[in-house]
Parts: sequence; C-alpha cells; structure tokens
Amino acid sequence: MLNELLFRFASWLDTFQSSTDLHEALYMYSWVESAHVLTLMLFLGMLLVIDLRLLGVAFKNIPASKIVERLDKPMMIGFIVMVISGALLFYAIPVRSTQSIWFRIKVVLLIAAGVNAFLIRKMTRSSAMKAWDNDPVPPKRIRVGAALSLGLWTLVIGAGRSMAYDWWDCTKELPYFMYWAAGCVNEMAAFEQ
Amino acid sequence: MDVVFFFQWLDGSMLAEFSKSSSGIFAVVQTIHIASMVVLGGMLLLGDLRMLNVVLPDVPSSLVIENTKKWIYLALVFIVLSGIYEASAIAMKLAYNSFFFAKMAGLSMGIVFILSLRSAVYRRAPGLVYPEGSSQTLSQSDTLRPWIVKLVAVTNLLIWFGVASSGRWIGFS
Repeated sequence: MLNELLFRFASWLDTFQSSTDLHEALYMYSWVESAHVLTLMLFLGMLLVIDLRLLGVAFKNIPASKIVERLDKPMMIGFIVMVISGALLFYAIPVRSTQSIWFRIKVVLLIAAGVNAFLIRKMTRSSAMKAWDNDPVPPKRIRVGAALSLGLWTLVIGAGRSMAYDWWDCTKELPYFMYWAAGCVNEMAAFEQ
Repeated sequence: MDVVFFFQWLDGSMLAEFSKSSSGIFAVVQTIHIASMVVLGGMLLLGDLRMLNVVLPDVPSSLVIENTKKWIYLALVFIVLSGIYEASAIAMKLAYNSFFFAKMAGLSMGIVFILSLRSAVYRRAPGLVYPEGSSQTLSQSDTLRPWIVKLVAVTNLLIWFGVASSGRWIGFS
C-alpha cells in the first residue's frame, strides 16, 4: 500500500519537465550534488564539534553551553542548504530514489537522528545543564545521546554513498522481500503472478 | 614530468587487485573518506571562523585552535589512507584526470599551509581575536596585525574548498 503510494508520487514528480531537465543538465545536477556534499562539512562539521564536547573527548575546557549555543546557527545554515539540495537531487531522479533500498534506509536513519537531536536539544537547553556545564565529561545520558548522534550520522553518510551502487536495484533479480523493502512495485506484481 | 608510470604501477599492485574485487568494501572506504573529510572540514572551519570572529568570539582563540589540532592530523591520516585505496581501483582513469591533479595540488598546498603558515600565524594572533580582558592576550610586540590573521583564515578556507570541490568533480569527469 505504502509502496504503491510512494511509487505513484515519484512517478507524478517524474512527469515534470523540470525534473528531467535537472537530471540531464550538463552542469546543474553536478553543482547541486557538490553543494549537498560540501554543506556536509558545515552541518556535520559543527555537529561533530558539539557531539565531541558532549561526549567529553574534546573542547573539555570550554563550557558545553557555549559550544552548543554558538555553533547552532552555522550548523542550521548548513542543514537548510543540505535539505534543499537533497530535495532537488530527489526531484531530479524521483523513481530510482524512491525504489532505492539505501535511500529508504537513509530516510529512516535521518528520522532517528532527528529524534535523537531533538532529545539532546531538550536536555542541553534545560536549566539542569548548569549543573554540568563546566564539567569536562557530561552526564552519561548526554554522552549516550552524543555517541548515538555520531553513529547515526556516519550511517547516513554510508547509506547516501551506497545509493550510487546498483547492487539491489529493481532491475536485478532479487528475493521478494528485497523487492518489497525497495518498493519495486512492478517486480512484486510480476513475482506474485 | 611523466607520472603515468606511477599509476601503471598502482594499477598492477595487489592493493588495486583487492580494491577492484569488492564494491562493498570500496563503499565502506568511501564512507570513511567522507566522514574524515567532515572531521577535517569541521575542525578547519571552526578554527578559521573563530579567527574571523564569526563563531565563539568570546572564547580564547588559542583554546579553539589547540582543541582542533589532533583531530585535523587524525583526519588527514584517514583521508590519505582511504584516498590511496580509492585511487588504486581507478588508477588509470585518474592518470588522465585533470581534476585529480588539481585536487592533489590543492591537498599538498593545504597540508603545507596548515603545518607552516596557518600554525605560525595563529600562534601569534593579536588581542583582537582573544576575548576582551583575557589573560591570554599576547603583548603588542609579539602579535601580528588582525588583517594578516584574517587573510590566513580566508586563504585556508579557499584552499580546502578548492580541494573538496575538485575531489567531487573527479566523479563527474
């Protein structure tokens, strides 16, 4: 059901001439992809600094609140550019992206990283932070959140990178479960016949 | 100087044989390469933006720079090692790729720059880039002019931006 809906949505996006134009553009697609990768440096670079401080492995002599609050703005600028460029990349190749198992894994990981970031944000914005703000090593729950954040974002990079490979594309002969997981609607129908 | 012989040697090496045989391991190494770039990019950005007074202006710049150093070196080691592995799989393609040579030139320049000029200049950053009243402010005679520090920060950002973009374009060419 969900696979069907996603496929229809992707096919609808694919009917737009601008989607095809972007995909087939000589330079534009490459520029958008470059912007997506380069803003990783800004967004994930700043997030890394925050997470390393919250893990208590770097910047231990700087109050955690300073790092968290002051790096929030550049990090969010990087995040916004990354989301916009990512959306454009999806718009350029909607059907293959929707039917990529790696894209699906990436989206799930992004949601998990988002929930984790929300929880860390809540914990580092509360008044309780004052109690450990200057401590070189923050409380365990904060360190767990920071470690999770680093782990999830590394996996997001890995899933994004793997999207370039055709190991489990719908055009390959795969078990039914893989067709279902990747959302290969037509192949699933052929399998059932 | 003709350097094609080096790429021919790399292409015939055991490393190339291994890197060409497994696309799964290749993807993992690519992920390590990008993750190391994030570490390097993040730490360089933090240091340079601090010197430009864009981020953490109320934290002594020496503290920021000192904290980023070991992460920069660690990231460079991983970038070079994973980069050699990646290059071995497509050595003959890279031998004739101008973006690859641009990236290598930029990378060499960037490494020399951070180990020499950037490091020397940031050690002598003036009071302006320290918080007001900080005990870490150097005496006037020991410091460099603020515009020199800022010029070094902008130059470093431009060099590494060039390295990252030319690296990305290797894949498109």
